[in-house]
Amino acid sequence: MMSLPRLNTILATCLITTLVLWIVIPFAMALMWSMVDPGTSWSYPDILPPALSFERWRIMWETSSLKTAMFNSYSLAPVAGMIAIILGAPTAYAFGRLTFPGKGIAQILMLTPIVLPGFVTAVFFASILVSLGFHSRYFAILLGHVVLFMPYAVRILSVSFSQVNNEVVNAARDLGASPFGVFRAAYWPAIKPGLFAAYLIVFILSIEEFALAFVIGSPTFTTVPTILYSYLGYDFIRPNAAVVAIVLVVPNVLLLIVLERLMQSANPANVSGKG
Amino acid sequence: MPDLDIRNVEMRFGGFCALSDVSLSVSSGKFITLLGPSGCGKTTLLNIIAGFLHPTQGSVLINGKGVTSLRPENRDTAMCFQSYALFPHLNVHDNVAFGPRQKRVARAETQSRVSTLLSQMGLDLHSTKLPNALSGGQQQRVALARALAVEPGLVLFDEPLSNLDAKLRDQVRSEIRSLQRELGFTAVYVTHDQAEALAMSDEVFLLNGGRIVQSGKPRDIYFKPKTRFVADFIGAANLHSGPINSGAMTTPFGPLSVDSPNLSMSTVCWRPESAALGGPLSGVVSSAAFQGSYLDVFLTKDGETIRLQISGDQHLEVGQTVSFGVPRDRVVIIEDTDTGQANA
Repeated sequence: MMSLPRLNTILATCLITTLVLWIVIPFAMALMWSMVDPGTSWSYPDILPPALSFERWRIMWETSSLKTAMFNSYSLAPVAGMIAIILGAPTAYAFGRLTFPGKGIAQILMLTPIVLPGFVTAVFFASILVSLGFHSRYFAILLGHVVLFMPYAVRILSVSFSQVNNEVVNAARDLGASPFGVFRAAYWPAIKPGLFAAYLIVFILSIEEFALAFVIGSPTFTTVPTILYSYLGYDFIRPNAAVVAIVLVVPNVLLLIVLERLMQSANPANVSGKG
Repeated sequence: MPDLDIRNVEMRFGGFCALSDVSLSVSSGKFITLLGPSGCGKTTLLNIIAGFLHPTQGSVLINGKGVTSLRPENRDTAMCFQSYALFPHLNVHDNVAFGPRQKRVARAETQSRVSTLLSQMGLDLHSTKLPNALSGGQQQRVALARALAVEPGLVLFDEPLSNLDAKLRDQVRSEIRSLQRELGFTAVYVTHDQAEALAMSDEVFLLNGGRIVQSGKPRDIYFKPKTRFVADFIGAANLHSGPINSGAMTTPFGPLSVDSPNLSMSTVCWRPESAALGGPLSGVVSSAAFQGSYLDVFLTKDGETIRLQISGDQHLEVGQTVSFGVPRDRVVIIEDTDTGQANA
């Protein structure tokens, strides 16, 4: 039989290899492609670009609609996350803490937006919004993102709500806490990780969403993904696409780091309270 | 300190009747136990006293004042939960200070209560630790300190020792009882452990199937069970059924003296440790287990088995015929109307 440390080493090596193949290499490639100097081309058999410069970044910044797209994407995502959580929380509370007839069916119905292909939803959603008289593309896409991604928030938050310990709730009430006091002592610590996770998911999904932003927004309203797809489609310009791809991923990584920090400064205590 | 009065309480959950016509009263400063198998309704009753549940019928009075519809936060009660239910994000000090802070007790007063309780419980050194850094016994003490910090008149215990190991259980058990004597609060203690109930209580209320089947001092409950269920649930019991003629019942083991002249069909019960070697009864040893202080013996005769607990220095072999006797005053006639296991 293989010794345990040896097995650990092998597994760790596999994990690191996969991570490198999966994350580091693509990210490094994107970074390098975005910095290929327009004057000198990067082609076979060069393994690394012969010259690096920020020229592509400058060109993209100055000539394309990247600026407005960034403003749109970066402002849509946090707001969509916030609204999805605020609107999803009551439903999540009901799913996580109450019993009512038809709960099972309601939970399945709630998840259906997730299984529909994005374009199907997008096409019909666009026509509904138009007939409802929604003329601001920004708010139409915002509403669309909230509707599309709220199921994820509800799903995550309902698990969080179900983890709130009833005895802790009762203990808070028993010791004389007001409804707000009960929320702070018994609910908040248990649902906080779920809130962060739900926010992160909706944020990332919104920032990367293409179908709805494309159908409703094109041609005048751009988000970072719609620009990215335009560089990947008919006129394929890899260095430009690389720049946009990195622009797309940066806020996700930043948010991930910030939330990770918040989670650590938040309490590591488990919610069960059992010894 | 308050007294507690429960009058004809009934609790229904849909079609299920968890409690029916339960009445009991506890005088101030007493320690009472609600004892019963799981599902007997004892925790439901405790939750009704605390105010987490509202009975479908009947009333709860604390100090003669009706509190049946009062919310838990407005009652003079504090609960010790089975899972301790400590606030996981608050350290020991803040957990204990939670109640006084919510009730807007003055800061200095809160501080003095918390430090007194923490030193009483031997938790001074742990006041800045989070609950999950404590052992089960320490968490139990924090839970108790937190409940006592609001200076409740009535403390409710919901199987507080069930998550502790046996040795710690005995220790915390006596700590709880001596604290109760010292501070003088009235205590209602829920447990399914008959040893706990017998050791701690001024009075035991034994519940089964949502009803109080017997109540009384631990000794009375133990030595004078009224029904087969009570006899079985509290400790081990030997039961015989048959007619009693001129002060004795005929059993497979011989004539058993009973403190009653003539009765047609009746059931009698006696405790394994009431028997002594040598006497008019006899049986064949089917097993004998040495338990240190006593010898746990099972005797059979004509297909019936009884249990004897005799002094540990005796030595019996399996297959040996043993004669024994049971003092007349230790044999109790019981009502045999309930099947006993209805809701166990």
